[in-house]
Amino acid sequence: MGYGSTGKLLNIDLTNSSIHIEEIGEEHYRLYPGGKALAAYFLLKNTPPNVDPLGPDNLLVFTTGLLTGAPFSTATRFTVAARSPLSGSYGESEAGGFWGPELKMAGFEAIIVKGKAKSPVYLWVNNGETEIRDAGHLWGRDPDQVQEIVRQELGDKLIRVLQIGLGGENKVRYAGLSHEMRHHNGRCGMGAVMGSKNLKAIAVRGKGRYLDLANDPQQLAELGKTLAKKVKEHPLSWDLQVKGTPGLTEGINAAGMLPTFNFREGSFDDANRLSWGAYEKDLLKGRGSCYACAVRCKREVSISASYDVGDKYGGPEYEAVAGFSSNCGVNDLSAMARANELCNRYVLDTISTSSSIAFAMECFEHGLIAPKDVDGLELRFGNADAMLKMIEMIAYRRGFGNLLAEGARRASKVIGKDSDQFAMQVKGQELPMHDPRGKVGVGLGYAVSETGADHLVAYHDTILSNPDSIYFKGAIPLGITEALPNRELSKKKAVTYALMENWSSFGKVVGLCYFGPAPRSFIQVDQILLAMRAATGWDMNIQDLLRIGERAIVLARVFNLREGFTRQDDMLPNRLFAPLQKGALTGVNISKTDFEQTLTDLYTIKGWDPATTVPTHDRLLTLDIEWAADLLKTVQT
Amino acid sequence: MKLHLGGNLSWYDHQKRAYLEITLVEKISLNALLMQLKIPRAEVAIVSVNDEMITDDDVILCDSDAVRLFPPIGGG
Repeated sequence: MGYGSTGKLLNIDLTNSSIHIEEIGEEHYRLYPGGKALAAYFLLKNTPPNVDPLGPDNLLVFTTGLLTGAPFSTATRFTVAARSPLSGSYGESEAGGFWGPELKMAGFEAIIVKGKAKSPVYLWVNNGETEIRDAGHLWGRDPDQVQEIVRQELGDKLIRVLQIGLGGENKVRYAGLSHEMRHHNGRCGMGAVMGSKNLKAIAVRGKGRYLDLANDPQQLAELGKTLAKKVKEHPLSWDLQVKGTPGLTEGINAAGMLPTFNFREGSFDDANRLSWGAYEKDLLKGRGSCYACAVRCKREVSISASYDVGDKYGGPEYEAVAGFSSNCGVNDLSAMARANELCNRYVLDTISTSSSIAFAMECFEHGLIAPKDVDGLELRFGNADAMLKMIEMIAYRRGFGNLLAEGARRASKVIGKDSDQFAMQVKGQELPMHDPRGKVGVGLGYAVSETGADHLVAYHDTILSNPDSIYFKGAIPLGITEALPNRELSKKKAVTYALMENWSSFGKVVGLCYFGPAPRSFIQVDQILLAMRAATGWDMNIQDLLRIGERAIVLARVFNLREGFTRQDDMLPNRLFAPLQKGALTGVNISKTDFEQTLTDLYTIKGWDPATTVPTHDRLLTLDIEWAADLLKTVQT
Repeated sequence: MKLHLGGNLSWYDHQKRAYLEITLVEKISLNALLMQLKIPRAEVAIVSVNDEMITDDDVILCDSDAVRLFPPIGGG
């Protein structure tokens, strides 16, 4: 009987074109059941310290989760991980869609790529068989062409093609990966790592069935049917289906947390032009889905207006809406959608791209850079033409785009003149579009996330602040007992944060989308436990699930400590400690003293030394990763 | 009254509308309005009346007001 795993890993060395299949046993998989956990394990075990993120020795790891491909909604995710070229830290990025389930059905839990091919190649993983093929004819082509050519030459329309774009080829430090032109591993620059290896794509076709891997396939299938029916009956999943993340924009603006003019302000005068009503009326053409998912939160769009946008790529999510509108001061829906389309075409992270441009706009307005520095562009807030031009220049690394392709932190070091105050980043990764001055736990997440600023590393304070709400009730089975105000920084907030970070991490390990489990969405905690038990047959409780999540976080932390990261790297940009200038939270800031005290509390709760963030030996022992202590011997404690 | 039911609050409207107009024959408190709309108070985190944030549940609303209601905004 199975336990949700194929038991096989695929090792690829592109330098000598070798392919090697490795077994992974049940005991090992139980500790590292896929996704973030398995990826962090491989990176710690198999990359040398201080590896060049864009060099051949950096490992690029693709992992499915234990539940990836299970026949129920939101069990679709897979992880791409490596040392990040943007932050130098542990880097990872998850995506849903179809590629992860397809890899599992092809017989593999993970693909581990090292080395560098002499010329562009792609991998063809066909139901257990693997081949390294020439990709010279694919290099430089757009994603739709690459997908079409690969499917034609391999003779199967159902092949899933995970690929980099021009951004990855040109090693833009925040280039991502995509498949089907609408599912993106956007963050941490994993596309640049793939490009540095001359690896254009990984084509996968599998004919297995997840249920054949499961311990109790009937129970899993029943759960799938139950959840599919529930999507429309539950307000949270209904909302994700009907509006999706673009439905967030107006509420965040009304709450004063909409990043505007590079996080200077929390409200945008023209937010109504980017509202759900405008999106639905002028942009939306349909709804799309991921593998076996009834939520269908993906947006299909096109528009013919100031800027024309076709239907080739997936529609903008909230992050792109805010990033390319309010945060760059642009009030044109079609310009925002065009920016999203360009990022999808070149396969660039929309968050880091938009935030890097917002950084440059603020530098321009303060006279730190002049038109002559930016190829004659009037790179001011609100200039949609300049914003769009800059995306092209970043992807091609032309002119000033070559500098912005390095990310805001590196660009600020070249520009100098105190421009670093405008670089809204943590550990080098640009902030997502949620202002933590209105929900400070999100700020804790931005700060401590091993990958740099990440809005999905935990759950937002806002959904856990009312004990009678449907959100809060969904979190009670996890051990959440007290609702806390959005802006409270306290030991209690640290306790809540740590617990919810472990829960979010668990999802990233086993392949669940953030839009599946409670408290963010409709699948209740006991149903997740049921799914895990049915898939594995393992006797597990909720604490076991949380420990899976915590173990993965600690492995990523150990990776960072090995690379020389310290507590000082867990800090927010200074702007967030200054008052917001506009909107419902005008005058509100985060108290740096309270923030640092809460970080101290958080590290203590996690079982880490609060001065260094080094996990205690006892904590490693509790998590069954005592071996990681050896890697910390050189870390100053 | 112009009414906007943001995010998942549209789910509570029997026609699942996000933007609607209703007629108020007399003034009404926010709490009473929510009861009429069958929207649980605990699911409403942000209330805006004529573009002003409101924190008082007893605020009195009239037919000419533009009211926007939003749930807690989580991540995504």
